[in-house]
Amino acid sequence: MKALDQSSQQYRRLWWLASRGFAAVVIVLLITAILTTPGGLQNFFNGLAIGGVYAIFALGYTLIFSILRIINFAHGAIFTLGAYFTYFLTGSAVGFNGLLANQKLPFGLPFPLAMLSGGILAGLCGIAIERVAFRPLRAKGADPLLTLVSSLGVAVAIVNIIQLMVGAEIYAYPRNPFGEMPAALNLGTFGGLSQRPIIIRTTQVIIFVVSMVIVVLLTYFINGTKTGKALRAVAEDATTSSLLGINTNRLILITFFVSGLVGGIAGTLVGLSVNVSGPYFGINFGLKGLAVIVLGGLGDIPGAVVGGLVIGVAEAFVPSQQVAYKDAIAFAVLFLVLLLRPQGLLGRAVVQKV
Amino acid sequence: MEGFLSTYGAAIVQMALAGVLALSMYLPLMAGQLSLASPGFYAVGGYVAALLSTKVFTGYPNGEYPIPLIVLEMGIAGVIAAFFALIVGIPALRLRGIYLALATIAFVEVLRIFALNQDELGGAVGIYNIPQPFFSATRIEYLVLALPLLVGAALFVARLERSRVGRAFVALREDELAASAMGIFPTYYKVLAFTLGAVLAGMAGALNAHILNTWNARQGTFDLAILILAYVLVGGSRTFLGPIIGAAFLVALPEIILREVAGLPGLNPVIATFLRDGRLILFGVLIAISVFFFPYGLITPSLLKSRRKKTPAEHIEPAKATPKVSGGEL
Repeated sequence: MKALDQSSQQYRRLWWLASRGFAAVVIVLLITAILTTPGGLQNFFNGLAIGGVYAIFALGYTLIFSILRIINFAHGAIFTLGAYFTYFLTGSAVGFNGLLANQKLPFGLPFPLAMLSGGILAGLCGIAIERVAFRPLRAKGADPLLTLVSSLGVAVAIVNIIQLMVGAEIYAYPRNPFGEMPAALNLGTFGGLSQRPIIIRTTQVIIFVVSMVIVVLLTYFINGTKTGKALRAVAEDATTSSLLGINTNRLILITFFVSGLVGGIAGTLVGLSVNVSGPYFGINFGLKGLAVIVLGGLGDIPGAVVGGLVIGVAEAFVPSQQVAYKDAIAFAVLFLVLLLRPQGLLGRAVVQKV
Repeated sequence: MEGFLSTYGAAIVQMALAGVLALSMYLPLMAGQLSLASPGFYAVGGYVAALLSTKVFTGYPNGEYPIPLIVLEMGIAGVIAAFFALIVGIPALRLRGIYLALATIAFVEVLRIFALNQDELGGAVGIYNIPQPFFSATRIEYLVLALPLLVGAALFVARLERSRVGRAFVALREDELAASAMGIFPTYYKVLAFTLGAVLAGMAGALNAHILNTWNARQGTFDLAILILAYVLVGGSRTFLGPIIGAAFLVALPEIILREVAGLPGLNPVIATFLRDGRLILFGVLIAISVFFFPYGLITPSLLKSRRKKTPAEHIEPAKATPKVSGGEL
């Protein structure tokens, strides 16, 4: 019996080494591929920008999942709301359709402030969703599947309220929201690594920087504050932590607020990069966010960041002839990851217990 | 009557088809598997019928398209959907709970994007001018095909519930580990439930391609998956009647709000406008509320039982009323 234990331990160690070695080889090969393909570095930087937004969007999903073990399907709607809130807080007017046609706020905030306030409003909407769609069912001890449906019902309602209020047209943020800046940065050949000069839009730099700042702040919030510690305790075991005096309901509210906040800011950032393309803006993005959190491992916070960056970069490498299939990448990745490594890139396998 | 049919004819046919789609999601759920793949198979079925009727059976460009050919197309669509279900289901059904749901969402989306970019499938425009057997604005004649499909599917599922296979499904839903210890091979029965559901969805898609006259990638989307899930859960996921009634109710509801409630004389014009333009808001809110007030759906096994005469044998199965819908943790 002891001999068997020893050999299985050795086997496991060998397996660990082999899998890490395999991962290292894959990463080296990927870096070589990025450096040698024409325009590879350019694609890489483009991918990082959108990948950063994927990452913070997915963080909103994963925060709620880690605590409640439920996917909040209204997160895509929150994303849309955040983008719209920012638009109106900058003092821009509603289009010609909807109940609020041609209305606008009497004041206009500078863009960074509008983005933050839009995020806060989206976070408050997150709290409202928690109170309306999640807490009543949780109090009744209902099946998690039913919560999924009620969050979807709320998402349908939000999308249609937006449509009723401000119509379905495309909204664009004011030009040069951060003051006069060059439209693009020329990085040259990046120390000779790229044949062609690399040009990055200033917007992309802003998006990436803002996303990474949020990732850092959120990581600090979760790992460095007392509330974050309580959050991790609830994620580990909700019953025990409530027995130890942690107010679970309050923490869940905080989680929904933070999730809505980063989701709303993610919406604004995407609106900055392209446009706010109508009330269904967030739905497709919401589905991609699911791919990101599965790739990173459900409920895994560093995993969501890595997953977002990986999917963003992978999409950027789709050749322009096949650009129509770009949206399929995230879902193909989602399907493959679920089949091959359901615990996610950074996750550990969980043994099913009886 | 004429006016009623011209207003609601299309909706009545869609109620029947939605019932078939709801049953197609109910079947895997019966075996404890939350699969959202029905719209994928529905889209496949629609494309099969659209291609067959516009490229293969081309003898009826403007004349009446024969009904037996539609039945044949539905059969072929069912077989092809089953084939897709086997390819997707055998690997995907190793997953449980929310993971399976996500994998099936991915399947639906990949299929949609693929269809959107295939020139043979008409790209974004899709395949149009699909020949029709009936020429009336009400489309109520399609009940000739849709109603037998619904009744057939319902009888099949009702019979299945009382058969050995159906009991194996329920055993898997209640406890997969215990069921496999009792000699039920989980993979076989899960794939079977998934494939049977796919056949139903494929046939519904084939019929709807003719009804709608056109078929494109927007037919099989994530939104539809959610709608079907709402049919099943609002109706009740414990008996075959639940999904059918849930589907009929949720298809009829927006139509009735639009045409009857919003048109009431003496209604405040603001409220009338809201009901007309914002009925989907009400729809979303109603779904959220109904889940709260009817957690087991409108139709529950105990509701059906109380209508029936009590027999001594009924006392053996009190365990059926457990509230869980999915097997395992979600």
